[in-house]
Amino acid sequence: MFKILAACGAGVNSSHQIKDALETEMSNRGYEVQADAVMVKDITEDMMKDYDLFTPIAATDLGFTPSCPVVDAGPILYRMPAMAAPVYDQVEQAIKDSGKA
Amino acid sequence: MSGIIDFANAIFKPLIDLGAAPMMLIVLTIIALIFRVKFSKALEGGIKLAIALTAISAVIGLLTTAFQDALNAFVKSTGIQLSVTDLGWAPLATITWGSPYTLFFLLVMVIVNIVMIVMNKTNTLDVDIFDIWHLAFVGLLAMFFGANLLITTCLVIFIGVLKIINSDLMKPTFNDLLHAPSSNPMTTTHMNYMMNPIIMVFDKIFDVIFPWLDKFDFDAAALNKKIGFWGSKFAIGIYLGIFIGLLSHQGVKEIFTLSFTAAFCLELFSLIGSWFIAAVEPLSQGITDFANKKLKGRTMNVGLDWPFVAGRAEIWAAANVLAPIMLLEALVLPGNKILPLGGIIAMGVTPALLVVTRGKIIRMIIIGALELPLFLWAGTLSAPMVTATAKKLGAFPKGLASGTMISHSTMEGPIEKFLAYLVGNASTGQIKFVLYAALALVAYLLLFMWYAKQMKKRNKIYADEAAAKAAK
Repeated sequence: MFKILAACGAGVNSSHQIKDALETEMSNRGYEVQADAVMVKDITEDMMKDYDLFTPIAATDLGFTPSCPVVDAGPILYRMPAMAAPVYDQVEQAIKDSGKA
Repeated sequence: MSGIIDFANAIFKPLIDLGAAPMMLIVLTIIALIFRVKFSKALEGGIKLAIALTAISAVIGLLTTAFQDALNAFVKSTGIQLSVTDLGWAPLATITWGSPYTLFFLLVMVIVNIVMIVMNKTNTLDVDIFDIWHLAFVGLLAMFFGANLLITTCLVIFIGVLKIINSDLMKPTFNDLLHAPSSNPMTTTHMNYMMNPIIMVFDKIFDVIFPWLDKFDFDAAALNKKIGFWGSKFAIGIYLGIFIGLLSHQGVKEIFTLSFTAAFCLELFSLIGSWFIAAVEPLSQGITDFANKKLKGRTMNVGLDWPFVAGRAEIWAAANVLAPIMLLEALVLPGNKILPLGGIIAMGVTPALLVVTRGKIIRMIIIGALELPLFLWAGTLSAPMVTATAKKLGAFPKGLASGTMISHSTMEGPIEKFLAYLVGNASTGQIKFVLYAALALVAYLLLFMWYAKQMKKRNKIYADEAAAKAAK
């Protein structure tokens, strides 16, 4: 199972949209992924170790360097499929690179 | 006229009598269908909204019941009259989305946004449908204080137009804060940025009198890293349970119960908030598709929820430092009735501070501390309306004392709530309030215009810098 961490301000709106979109699209592309949505402020280095990919909305300063690859998932929130497609492609590539495809 | 009202009553009364959750299931499903959302998706959204309304009601009941005796004892032992329970944003969002007027204000603002785009008055398409609740809340508050639907709609449009203009004004600053290119379309019409004009007044005072304080800015990310889980929702619930428990002379067992109850309620509020955002999702996509079709593929900025800047560590460092400051202010602030709980991490306050100060953390904290009383007063002012609406939704336990009220300590748009209060009372014909409302609206507009001028100056500097860089 490929695990993704999405994050936003309250951990309920934007990050949930990203979580739902990534789970749906990656499932359509034949990958088994699980995404969690949290508040940016609640992310710790320990928490990050449990994930294969971090998908914030935009550049995020956590006070440490994430231990996993990072893909900016903001374009998913624009609600325009053509703008979200490059994000999905990057996530798919990260899954392939992880060896968990 | 009475025939029309009788006809409307005959149609809508049975719907209203069903209660808020079933009524909103039906209304949200129908509105989504109008925007050509597939029936199964529309119904799924309607059911999720009904479940969220029911769930949030249950958790509000649990929290207020658990804290009632302790808060009464707290008032007795300390003499501090903080009788309004602060539930944070999620219950208030749910209560607001439980009103059909919210959908009405949403439709009005979708039209306003499209008209502004067509007339080239904005370049922002607002797809953050969910957060219409902040503006709808102002509308509901105006109606609570006496405004009719026409006046309320005018107020909502007035503030809504300024919000959209503000999203264009802030766009270059967002690019700067995110280190993003000008092609980045992210901006926001979020209500919390309507505090920008007032913050800018303070910021200009800082520029003149205290610029040396900027030397003391510290590494916000390092502070957040140190705070770790101690700043999480459940940890805050624990602190407040201990704080209220100790001051109200509860036993050890009761203090543990209060702490764990507050902690799980704060966690559940967020969880249920996410269901209810999911409930509005099919409608949000439907409206975005509709607007895109009308705009025939014109390239523009996209109005999102505020957290695309949540990656800036200053937002959280300022919120963490402001939390204990707000608690102290709440204890001594004349006219305040709210004891900060669910809203103590001031997410409705710090994003605007970030945008205006551009991340100068000391300024963010000092200006934040100075403006927090506005939020506490606005939350106190809103408490009777929130409580009355929650009671209508059945979200208020019957056994609670009549004086018990609920609200939110750091809800976005405190100034707009004062406007709603004045406009609502003015609508009842009180000459004094007509005068106050007129003066307040003019002052609000003038302050916004001054702020807009400052932002245009700032944006020109950004544009000149970009041009100079391109010329190299």
